[in-house]
Amino acid sequence: MIDPRQFALIHGEIDGELDNEQRAELARGLLADPEIRAVRDQLQRVSKAMEAFEEVEPPADLHASILAALPQRAPLRRRPSVAPPWVAPAWRYAALIAGVCVAGALLYQTVSGPGPAATDIAGTIAPAGAPMILDTASLANGPVSGHFSLYRDRAGLGLELEVRANGPVDVRIAGDGHTLEVNGLKSADQPGTAPTKVALPGFRGGETVELTFLMQGEEVGTATLRVPAGH
Amino acid sequence: MNEQDDRTLVRRCREGDRAAFGELVVRYQKPVYNAALRLLHQPEDARDVAQTTFLKVYEHLDDYDPKFKFYSWIYRIAINESLNALSARKPFAEVSGEEADEAPGPEQRVAGEQLNQAIEEELMRIKPELRAVLVLRHFMHLSYQDMGEILQVPEKTVKSRLHTARLLLRDGLLHHGAL
Repeated sequence: MIDPRQFALIHGEIDGELDNEQRAELARGLLADPEIRAVRDQLQRVSKAMEAFEEVEPPADLHASILAALPQRAPLRRRPSVAPPWVAPAWRYAALIAGVCVAGALLYQTVSGPGPAATDIAGTIAPAGAPMILDTASLANGPVSGHFSLYRDRAGLGLELEVRANGPVDVRIAGDGHTLEVNGLKSADQPGTAPTKVALPGFRGGETVELTFLMQGEEVGTATLRVPAGH
Repeated sequence: MNEQDDRTLVRRCREGDRAAFGELVVRYQKPVYNAALRLLHQPEDARDVAQTTFLKVYEHLDDYDPKFKFYSWIYRIAINESLNALSARKPFAEVSGEEADEAPGPEQRVAGEQLNQAIEEELMRIKPELRAVLVLRHFMHLSYQDMGEILQVPEKTVKSRLHTARLLLRDGLLHHGAL
């Protein structure tokens, strides 16, 4: 079993990131452990092979087809050089009158309009601002365990993470083209540690939210949550 | 790519100069197409993504903030478009287990060319977010900083993903006898 530190040094060497001290540390590890030598050799071979891949020429007509498609698309958005029509006085008065009418109608509906008695609706709706749980997942029997909830509140979609582990945990949260990372989560076992809440801006209904748990850069668990369609 | 020249071309585009946009396409069509191809592994999809990327660049040129590198911006759009295309694919479009069984055995995979083929296949088995860091680092030769800008994550996250992705790729190659 190779120490994560040795893995980090091997990756650092591939990326040309090591200083003299780190190079010496890696050299000592390579001398001492044939497994480290084997892993370093494999990763170097893979990396060099990828570096040597030749670029592929794009299709010959790609340039022409992109330029030909431009006129069919929306033109470049220019900043308006003149005031938009709704700034003109006549439009402002019209907007004001319409606004007053809408406000009046809403006020009438609220005060006098038909509707169920307050007793009929008591207990049927959540308190304002209370989060609605959309999905939950749990992890057990691994380096990381815990409970994870996907919810929606007034601010939008969010995730509550309650992890248990022997060290700090990084969580990668990935959805449809969105990725967030929360670093250094503490174990819920530790006194005074509350579940971590993470806002998920840009995530949409019908999406899968994948959680990847990492410790010292190594993946130690995954979980999947789903945002129901319509949320 | 010369960043100053890019800014000049972007400014000319914003002034309505279509020839300047054509010049940006000439500059970036090859890296954008190649990034999409490595992520999607299908030339037709890569072509579609490249075309969509440039059209989005054109439409949103006013939103581009010149304090960032232009190529980071265009690569970010290309990577996001590629990831969107991948998520829209039906599962059977991915490399399937059947194809894996038909792959050459260990004794046949000794030459570099076969290793390359195995790498291309194994890349498609890795999660798209992790595949993206391998593409940006090893095929597009970008720095951690540029990768962080493109993926909009801290450099620390870039490194963590890169390490995980390399190990997964190595494990896959070992598992299929290609390494």
